[in-house]
Amino acid sequence: MNKKFVGTHKGFLFVLPGFLGFCVFYLWPFVISIGFSFLSRPVGGEFVGLYNYISLLQNPAYLLGLRNTITFIGLSVPVNMVFSLWIAILLGKISGRLKPLFVLVFLLPLVIPSGSMVFFWQQFFGANGILNGFLYSAGFYPNWLNSENARFVLLTIFLWKNLGFNMVLFMSGLSNIPADYYEAAAMDGASRRAVFMKITMPCLMPTTVIVVLMSVINSFRVFREVYLLMGSHPHESVYMLQHFMNNNFFALNYPRLTTATTLLAFAMMLLALGLLKLQKRVS
Amino acid sequence: MGRKLCIVWLGILAAGFMLPLVITFTNAFMTETEIFLNYNTSLSVFDVIDGVERRFVPVRLVPREITLGQFRAVLVDQPAFLMLLVNSIRITAPVVVFNLAVSLLTAYGFTSWKWKHKEILFFVYIVVMLMPLQAVLVPNFIIAERLGISQSYWAIIFPGIFAPFGTFLLRQSMGAIPEANFEAARMDGAGEIFIFIFVVMPQMKSGIAALSMLTFIEYWNVVEQAVIFIRDYRLEPLSVFLSRIGEGNIALIFAASVVYMIFPLLWLFLGQEDLQKGIELSGVR
Repeated sequence: MNKKFVGTHKGFLFVLPGFLGFCVFYLWPFVISIGFSFLSRPVGGEFVGLYNYISLLQNPAYLLGLRNTITFIGLSVPVNMVFSLWIAILLGKISGRLKPLFVLVFLLPLVIPSGSMVFFWQQFFGANGILNGFLYSAGFYPNWLNSENARFVLLTIFLWKNLGFNMVLFMSGLSNIPADYYEAAAMDGASRRAVFMKITMPCLMPTTVIVVLMSVINSFRVFREVYLLMGSHPHESVYMLQHFMNNNFFALNYPRLTTATTLLAFAMMLLALGLLKLQKRVS
Repeated sequence: MGRKLCIVWLGILAAGFMLPLVITFTNAFMTETEIFLNYNTSLSVFDVIDGVERRFVPVRLVPREITLGQFRAVLVDQPAFLMLLVNSIRITAPVVVFNLAVSLLTAYGFTSWKWKHKEILFFVYIVVMLMPLQAVLVPNFIIAERLGISQSYWAIIFPGIFAPFGTFLLRQSMGAIPEANFEAARMDGAGEIFIFIFVVMPQMKSGIAALSMLTFIEYWNVVEQAVIFIRDYRLEPLSVFLSRIGEGNIALIFAASVVYMIFPLLWLFLGQEDLQKGIELSGVR
């Protein structure tokens, strides 16, 4: 080995231990998993081509979970963005001792383990819970946990838990907008609406793309709360992709599991690549 | 919008955010009887006589009598609870420590490695990092079966140690170290290991704090992996157990929840900036 080669690749020695583990626990099993998705059985199975994919896409439980997951992402990501941007803008207008205190409050839910809030949410949204206590006196008595309304319960919990994350990203995005842009706009007598549409929004675009990506990833985590709150077979309006996969884990249905995994990983990869490309273009 | 109005809006939002936590905290200091009275909504004979149709869970923020009884029950009288707390620690501690060590090495390697195509390899890390947990679980399960470590904590711990997120976060944060620092050390004839320990490490304090906090939060709250890998209920972490305690003894649930959440809360109070830094660094740039 010549000296130049050693000099170039010395850094690799630091990468090596982590990379080996990364291969053993991530890359290699991913490859196996993709391979399994084309076999009738993992051990001694024969090659069945796309059969597993076709049968998965005809499985009503899978389709229900897929539909609900997409609906939830489509609903939660924009709502979360609007609210977190709003809070970040509000926080940008105040200063002094109150500001870090407010930031702390919005960050709190992020660190609270899901398990410690389950009982509270049950008591809050339960048939005779806190929320219905207020609504009943106004003449309503909705069923939150076991009807279509469960979607709203999920959205509430998701926002409570994840607003803080996006808020921090937006705060740092907002603070990176040069102050002279705003000063120039003020000199020209631009309206607040115009300032927001012409300066704030365009400058926030790179941040927004990242926020979308992180929110999509985080929105999968709401499964934790659904599962702890409503078990493995919740109302069909909140039966998620993850319920389907989780329930197939107990039957150890490898063809279904690996096929669903491959499809999900592929979809996420396309989304991530698309968004990262978009982010490069806007920044 | 004026400053005052901003504060009013923020105050309203903050109150809403705090409500679940405030109720959990204050209720943890109530007596068993009071908890039972508040959270039992079935109608008594007297309700029926009085013509009350439905009873609801009230919002009670001030205990009628402040007591540490719940905490004593949870921490002293019920050794099972402490055992479950220890389970959570046994999963979280190794992941936090070893993930940090592995990520530091790998991140430094990626920084100092001069191979032209290293970014392609790094990109693989990013793609895996962006996978939602559910997409990673099946591969995790397959490899755990092959290595014979499913049904044990190792099935959760190993993937945690080699998770790509730490490498990504620390490399981001290492990028902030001026190139001149490395140059100067190399001119003085310092080896890579020397540079790693004496040049890089001292400047990585906030990156290290941010990563260990984020990893801690993630694994303290482990649910999905535990459901799949741990079938023995005595080995469950607290997160999974707490979701079932409500069916049995509701008089303990609030104190148990408080004990469970106090660790990440304390960490947040001590290192709010670290968490913010960590979130900012997670934004891919």
